[in-house]
Amino acid sequence: MTEFISANLPYLLAGISVGGQYALIAIGYTMVYGILRLINFAHGDIFTVAAYCMVYMNATMPLYISLPLTIVFTVALGLAVERVAYKPLRDAPRMSIMISAIGVSYLLQNLMWYVTGGLAQQYPTIPWISSTISIYTATTKMVTLVTPVLTLVLVVLLVQLIKHTKIGMAMRAVSRDFETSRLMGIKINGVISVTFAIGSFLAAVGSMLYFSNYTAVTPTAGAMPGLKAFVAAVFGGIGSIPGAVIGAFIIGIAENIIKALGWTAFSDAFTFALLIVILIFKPTGLFGEAVHEKV
Amino acid sequence: MKVFKIILAALLVILALVITASALTTRGTLPTLLERMDPENLAAQDAAMQKAKDRVTTALAENNPERAQRSLDRYINGFSAQLTLSGRVGYDLFFFRNGPSMLALALFLVVAAAGLIAHALDRSGRVRKLVLPAILITVLYVGVYIVENIAGANSMLMTVLKKGAIYALLAVSMNLLNGFTGLFSLGQAGFMLIGAYTYAIFSIETQSRAQVYQYYAGGIIQFQLPALVSIALAGLAAALFAFLIGWPVLRLKSDYLAIATLGFAEIIRAIFQYDGLGPLTNGSNLLRKFTVFDTALFPFAVAGVCIALIALLIHSTYGRSFKAIRDDEVAAEAMGINLYAHKQMAFVISSFFAGVGGALLAMYQTTVQAAAFTSAMTYEILLIVVIGGMGSISGSVIASFLFVAASEWWLRFLDNETMLGSFRVPLLRSGFRMVVFSVVIMAVVLFYRKGIMGDRELSLGRFRRRLSHRRKGGAQDG
Repeated sequence: MTEFISANLPYLLAGISVGGQYALIAIGYTMVYGILRLINFAHGDIFTVAAYCMVYMNATMPLYISLPLTIVFTVALGLAVERVAYKPLRDAPRMSIMISAIGVSYLLQNLMWYVTGGLAQQYPTIPWISSTISIYTATTKMVTLVTPVLTLVLVVLLVQLIKHTKIGMAMRAVSRDFETSRLMGIKINGVISVTFAIGSFLAAVGSMLYFSNYTAVTPTAGAMPGLKAFVAAVFGGIGSIPGAVIGAFIIGIAENIIKALGWTAFSDAFTFALLIVILIFKPTGLFGEAVHEKV
Repeated sequence: MKVFKIILAALLVILALVITASALTTRGTLPTLLERMDPENLAAQDAAMQKAKDRVTTALAENNPERAQRSLDRYINGFSAQLTLSGRVGYDLFFFRNGPSMLALALFLVVAAAGLIAHALDRSGRVRKLVLPAILITVLYVGVYIVENIAGANSMLMTVLKKGAIYALLAVSMNLLNGFTGLFSLGQAGFMLIGAYTYAIFSIETQSRAQVYQYYAGGIIQFQLPALVSIALAGLAAALFAFLIGWPVLRLKSDYLAIATLGFAEIIRAIFQYDGLGPLTNGSNLLRKFTVFDTALFPFAVAGVCIALIALLIHSTYGRSFKAIRDDEVAAEAMGINLYAHKQMAFVISSFFAGVGGALLAMYQTTVQAAAFTSAMTYEILLIVVIGGMGSISGSVIASFLFVAASEWWLRFLDNETMLGSFRVPLLRSGFRMVVFSVVIMAVVLFYRKGIMGDRELSLGRFRRRLSHRRKGGAQDG
């Protein structure tokens, strides 16, 4: 028994940690989808840009400036992407907006490649959360413990925001019925901007936690975690924040169990297999609402 | 008019025969001609002419015009014989060097002549409609062949043409699904991967297998199939896979379908890199030493046939059903169209051609590795489809060539650091090309949403009507 635990505890810890990081990204996907019915393919790249921001700013500034500046920059980027690439297509078919999102992702990846020269960069060590600790028999970084706690705190705050504030009420109304809420006098563009700002903020925090663990930053480093976070959002029922968080933890842990079983090559494939299985048997995910098509 | 056309056609045929004869005989006649151009021979001729010239001078001095005339004639004869000889040699050398291109040109002339005769004799007008497209297609292929012979198979232009033809097939196959049937699928890279691997596995040279599969004891397949058979198998393998995953996936709605197909592509990529399948797929190592094409005509021919088949499909009743599903699924179902069967059909056929395109891409690259078939590849082809216009075959084809030419050739200079005198042009360095390129693509996506062609096709009929309309309009103004 002790042997079993000591052999598998590192994987479980890694699973919980990476699950929390996926959760922070997944919230961005699920909120945008809830309101715009758009898969924001660029979200994974915004996550990567946040990492690069940190790398470059930390080279010239102390941590207590570069950390908040990274968050501010990421939020500004998220807002800019929404304003430039999605807002002009508000009334276009959904396929056009999705293609625009793919275009933004392509642009951001190429831009990062250009700026960095395509070489992997070393993510700076953030004191305290990068320090190693040992729990029981497993040695791990502090970030492994911090992530789930921070994720839960942020999610609780977010849920409070959505349930009890005016802007939260507006967000709920818009995701329920876009057109009607517009008629009711809700300023759609403001609500959408706030959604993107929150999503980008969480992606920035997620990127700090994620890259404290996996320290090599490349232009496509965010693509896979981005896709997985999206799968988590679908798994939990897209549009639902608790669903996204639970989905992310399940995927993070399951992925690391697969790795523990020695099937590392299939850990990515497993995530997508899980997605396809859930889409077949429960297309709306764990907590999603069924959508009825109107003629 | 009719007689005139037939005479013109006859002239074209004669010209074609002359060209063919010249191209075929030069190899035989050149040696004799060159023998006549031997330095000794030429020296003797030169001496004779020098003598004739001297005679002219003496005759003039002796005031004997008749003899001067005779010697001058001899001199001029010798001179023109030399000119003729060098002309013949030049002509024959030209045909010797460009023989294949000249044969292609002759073929084109025959086609043109046949078109002219058909045009003159055909009363119903049915053949008449096919003449111009047939001629244009011949011009395209003959042109590619001649350009390849002149520019050299490894020139940048040929690279663009080869890759452009392959991307055209990939884009048209994706357009069949996304533009004509309205299924937003992002699995293209996965099907291409299946196609590329199937092709490579079956067409690696038998004697090289031990070397390619060095970590897997030479692999389990120990035979080699002809290229065309392997290509067909590549398409069938992709189609079979599409058939299997279509059952669960095609019941999903738009964005769920997109993400599920994207997921399948990732799963395929993982499976093909799996070590346990190494004897078949060589694990995560590359596959190489399979049959490749040596002329651009090959991808042009295969892609051309495939695109023509897709075009025929789209213009059939099935194609109309696809468009009905795209425009309104509920209405299409109410009209009696079996949604699932038609979606499945579009999905399987599109995947078949994606597999064929993947096989061609493998031939073009000469090596394949599963790791390269990422979702970025799918996005690239999707962007080509969007630039060309969702629901336009000719748009996809044009956009493919533009996309490949711009990314591989025209924008290359953006990647090089450039100095104007002592002034270093800012921004220009490696990677800038792709940034500019993606900005252009974003501009198309945002401001020019219909792409180059919208959902229309390139049509000679419309072009002609527009021309005649403009002419009429001009007459009214006058």
